[in-house]
Amino acid sequence: MTLFALLLSGVVAVNVAVLRAHVAVAKLDQQREQLQARNQALASEVSAASSAPRIERAARRLGLVQASAGNTSYLDLTSGGR
Amino acid sequence: LKARVVNSRLRLLLLGILLTFAALGVRVAWLQTVRASSLANLAQRQTKFDLTLPASRGTIYDRLGVPLAIGEQATDVIADPMQISDPRREARVAAKALGLRVKPLYRKLSDRTVGFVYVERKASPRLAAKLSKLGLTGFTFQSDEKRVYPQDTVAAPVLGYAGLDNTGLAGLESELNKELAGRPGRETVVRDATGQAVNTVQERPARDGSSVFLTLDSHIQANAEQVLEQTVHQWHAKDATAIVLDPHTGAILGMAQEPGYNANNYPAFARTLAIDHAVNDVFEPGSVFKVVTVGGALSEHKITPQTRFTLPYSIHVADRVIHDAEIRPTERMTVAQILQRSSNVGAITIAERYLGESGLKHWMRRFGFGRLTGIDLPGESAGILPKYWSGSTIGNVPIGQGVSVTSVQLASVYAAIANGGEWIQPHLVDHVLGRTPPRPHRRRILAPAVDRELRTMLKGVVSDQGTAELAAIPGYTVAGKTGTAQKPGPSGYIPGAYVATFVGMVPASNPRLVVLVSVDEPHGQIYGGTVAAPAFEQIASFDLQYLEVPPDLRIGARG
Repeated sequence: MTLFALLLSGVVAVNVAVLRAHVAVAKLDQQREQLQARNQALASEVSAASSAPRIERAARRLGLVQASAGNTSYLDLTSGGR
Repeated sequence: LKARVVNSRLRLLLLGILLTFAALGVRVAWLQTVRASSLANLAQRQTKFDLTLPASRGTIYDRLGVPLAIGEQATDVIADPMQISDPRREARVAAKALGLRVKPLYRKLSDRTVGFVYVERKASPRLAAKLSKLGLTGFTFQSDEKRVYPQDTVAAPVLGYAGLDNTGLAGLESELNKELAGRPGRETVVRDATGQAVNTVQERPARDGSSVFLTLDSHIQANAEQVLEQTVHQWHAKDATAIVLDPHTGAILGMAQEPGYNANNYPAFARTLAIDHAVNDVFEPGSVFKVVTVGGALSEHKITPQTRFTLPYSIHVADRVIHDAEIRPTERMTVAQILQRSSNVGAITIAERYLGESGLKHWMRRFGFGRLTGIDLPGESAGILPKYWSGSTIGNVPIGQGVSVTSVQLASVYAAIANGGEWIQPHLVDHVLGRTPPRPHRRRILAPAVDRELRTMLKGVVSDQGTAELAAIPGYTVAGKTGTAQKPGPSGYIPGAYVATFVGMVPASNPRLVVLVSVDEPHGQIYGGTVAAPAFEQIASFDLQYLEVPPDLRIGARG
C-alpha cells in the first residue's frame, strides 16, 4: 500500500514538473517573440536614422557641404603615389 | 417483530443504494458511449485551441545590409458587436486609446448583424496594450506583422509594397513574394481553467520568409532620387528616371524615379506612382540609339572612326526631310564627329550606305532591343521595334525614332560598351539568404577592338566640341551620349513634348559606373546635354567619391 502511494505521488510529481516546464516554455516562447519584435523594431529604427537623406539634412544644418569627387586625393599604397 | 422491521428497513436502504448505483452506472455508460464523442469535443474546445502561426516576412536589405523593407510587430484589434452593449461608449474609449475617429468606429461597433469587425488592423502594439488593459467587452487582440519601409521614399518603386495581408503587390515585394512570404505554421495550445497555456503541441512550425539582399546601395539610391527631384523641379518636368549600374557585374546600384512615393502610406498614394518607369515604360530614345548604328557599321568593318562623310544640313529619306539639330553648312565629318555632334544626317547616311534594313534589324536585336533584359522586376517591357518598314523607316530608326526602348535596356547596352563589349544581364537581387546567388546571363555584343573605338568616340561627346560638355566631371574621363527625342502621340509627335536623356560611363579609361538619366517633358530647355547631362554629373560625382574611385585625370585637366 505504501509503495503504491509512493509510486502514485511520484507520478503526480512528474506530471506537475512537466506542466511547470510547459508553462515555462510557453513563457520563454512569448519572451522570444517579444525580443524578436523588439529587434526588428530597433533594426527599422536604425535604418531610418541612418538613411542618407536624413544624414544629409543633418549635415547641411551643421554647415557641411558635399566634397567634390575630383578634389579628393587617394594614396596608392603599392607605389606610394597619389 | 422489531427485528423484522429493522431487516426490512435495511433491505430497503440496500435497494435504494443499489438503485442509485445502477442509475449512476447507466449514466456513466450513457456518457461514456452515446455522449462520449460530443463531450470529448466540448472538452477539447474548452481547453485546446488551434492557432495559425504567422510566418515573418523576410527582410529586404541593400547591398551593405541596411534594411529597406522589414516586418514590425503589430496588433489587430477586433471587436464582436454582438457582445457590445454600449457601442457609443466603447467606440469613444477605443478611438481615444488608438487615435481613431469616433464616428466611423461607432458605425462599425453598432452594426449588430455581424460578429466580427476590425477596429484597427496593424495597430501599434503599445496602444493596443493600453486599450486591452481597459478591459472592454467584446474586444480581442491578435498579433500581426506590419511591413515597414524605414527609409520612407528611398527605392520605393523598386521595392514595391505589401498589402494588409502581407502579400507583395508591386515591385520586388511582388516579384520575390514566394521567397519573402515563408509558410505559416500550426499549433494546438492546451489551456487550464484560468486560460494559462499548460501545453503546446506544434503540428507544423512556421517557416519564416527568406531575407533578400539587393545590389542597390541605399546611399547611391537616395542621392540619385534627390538629384532627380531637383532636376524635375528645375525643368518643370513630368517625371525623371535614373539608373546607376556596375558595368562589370550588371549589378544595379541605384534605380531612381521622381516623383516617388512613400510605401508606408499604402494604400493612400496614386497607383500610377508605383509604376517602375525604368522597366515598365518605353520611350523613343533619340540620339542615344546612334551607338547601335555606329557600333553595327564598325563591327561589320564598313567604317572606322576616321571615315569621312560629306554631310549636308538635311537629308531626304522617301517622303521625309530630316535635318540636324543645329543649322550648319554642308561639312565633312568623321564618324567620331558624327557621334560627338550627334549628327542625324551622319547617322542616317551610315545606316543607308552600310547597314540597310536587315543590318539595322540585326544590330538592334544583337544589342538586346525588342527583348526582355530579364531584370528581376515584374512587368518588364521588351520595347517596340518597327514591324513594318516603309521607305522612311531607314531615316527614323538609325537616330532612335520609331523604336521604343526601356531605360534599363539602354543602360545595359551602355554598360556592355563600358564592359569591353560584353552584355551582362542587369539585376537587382544579389542573393536570397541561404540560396546560391543567381548567375546573370552574359553575351558578347561587340568585339573588344570595336568596343574600344566606340568608347573613345563617346569620350568626344563629353567635351567642349561635343553635345554633353555639362556631363564632365573634374578629374575623371567621361564617355557618353545625349538624346533628345520627341514624344509620339496617337496622331504623330506631340508638339513641345520631348524626352531628354544622357547615358554615360566613368572613368572612361576603365569604367566603374554607368549612369543613365532620362527627363520626361522638360520645359525651358529640351536637350539631353542641357537637361540630363548635369544630373548625370551630380549623380556620378557623388557615386565616384562614395565608392572611392580615384580620378584618372590630373586635377584641372578635362575629360
